[in-house]
Amino acid sequence: MFHGYLPAILTGLSNTLLVAALSLLTACVFGLLGAVAKLSGSRTARWTAQAYTTLIRGLPELVLMLLIFYGGQILLNKLVEAQGWEYIDVPPYVAGVLTIGFIFGAYLTETFRGAILAIPRGQAEAALAFGMARGQVLRRIVLPQMVRHAIPGFSNNWLVMIKATALVSIIGLDDMLHRANLAASATREPFTFFVLVALIYLAVTTVSIWLLSRLEKRYSLGVKVVSF
Amino acid sequence: MLHRRLAVTVSLLVVCSLASSWVGAQAPEWKKIRVGVEGNYPPFSKLGADGKLSGFDIDIARAVCKQMAAECTLVQQEWDGMMPALSARKFDMIVASMTITPERQKAADFSDPYYDVPSRWVAKAGAFKDHSAAAFKGKKIIVLRNSPRAKHVADKYKDSEVLLVNKETDIYMELVAGRGDVGFGSSVVSSEAFLKRPEGKGFAQVGNTVRLDEGGGGVGIAFRKGETALRERVNAALKAVRADGSYKRLADSYFDFDVSGAGN
Repeated sequence: MFHGYLPAILTGLSNTLLVAALSLLTACVFGLLGAVAKLSGSRTARWTAQAYTTLIRGLPELVLMLLIFYGGQILLNKLVEAQGWEYIDVPPYVAGVLTIGFIFGAYLTETFRGAILAIPRGQAEAALAFGMARGQVLRRIVLPQMVRHAIPGFSNNWLVMIKATALVSIIGLDDMLHRANLAASATREPFTFFVLVALIYLAVTTVSIWLLSRLEKRYSLGVKVVSF
Repeated sequence: MLHRRLAVTVSLLVVCSLASSWVGAQAPEWKKIRVGVEGNYPPFSKLGADGKLSGFDIDIARAVCKQMAAECTLVQQEWDGMMPALSARKFDMIVASMTITPERQKAADFSDPYYDVPSRWVAKAGAFKDHSAAAFKGKKIIVLRNSPRAKHVADKYKDSEVLLVNKETDIYMELVAGRGDVGFGSSVVSSEAFLKRPEGKGFAQVGNTVRLDEGGGGVGIAFRKGETALRERVNAALKAVRADGSYKRLADSYFDFDVSGAGN
């Protein structure tokens, strides 16, 4: 039915999932840094984070990806030449993960910032009054509660991000959609492969939604759910 | 705690992959060459179920590399990122049915042409008498984005609408879907990918095949500007494979007409 392309597409799926998972980790790092920076007392940190979220959220992902991947490589080449070093290749995997992570980090910054703001200020003040250091307050009081508030927004970002990985084929990464495209060209049966890929994406996102809703329940233990 | 561990893992990963990606210096004798190829353009390039690339472009790339006694790595790249990837040194040359045009020559150097096929108009059988601008007035023409054919259409068919597609084979998908009235594409692709297949039933060529003047010199291998040593070696290798008959053997296994561009 799939002219023997199924294994190739499943390998593509594992690439897609790997890129998505690593990008998510990267995005979390950028997001947390961004959120903490936006809420920090330092004006420089606030402005840098503001510039980051404004710029990144304001540009199409594809444009950013091309800019960072090719532009970044060309800059790197120039630097390397000026220093008289050898050519350094940024592998598409690293570039793809960093680029997507960097982009979605900007969205997560806002998600995390909102989640932190949702925690009553008095709690952090109380912790400080008890003599905890700032780091301890963050780790013991803010982060665990932030997770609960962040999960809905986080879930949205994750779903959008899984689908955004389909863009990485433009920078030479061999993801599932890319494989499907090639299979569609070779067999000239586009719909067979696009429907297959659509179903696989749907399966992945459905499982994600289920897992994340369980996680949300777990972190909401002890919180009364109000229904309208 | 968890987040800190994640941060450490990510930074380790990044550092490791950057460290492992140091590529040895490219000596001027070009013993190792990375070749950018496509994969969406049968019969010139396509990806098999086993993940292997095949097609006329691929065979030409291999023949040239063999002739130069160079160790070549084929890098599969989507068409849209082809030129940027070449400038960013993701690979050293492009063998992807790229037509030599004045615009592209501003961004890259080209080898001598390694093939040249005419273009062809395709539409529902009997829909048009000829492919004059008057015949297509107010009709929608489907053509590959960023191609000499797209430029030809923009220049010569100003009274027609244009639908630009991202890959050559999409022209015929759009045509069947009825989103355009007439497709303008490579004569080889239109016959292999469409007219000879069941989907192409009821469609036919409009008028004669067309050679684009502004295309100038057929299809060539693209290099970064200034890579003259590599370009000259490739040109010599192309001459050699034409001379020893291996070019003709390759071409004959794909096409039942002359693609060499000789006598053009």
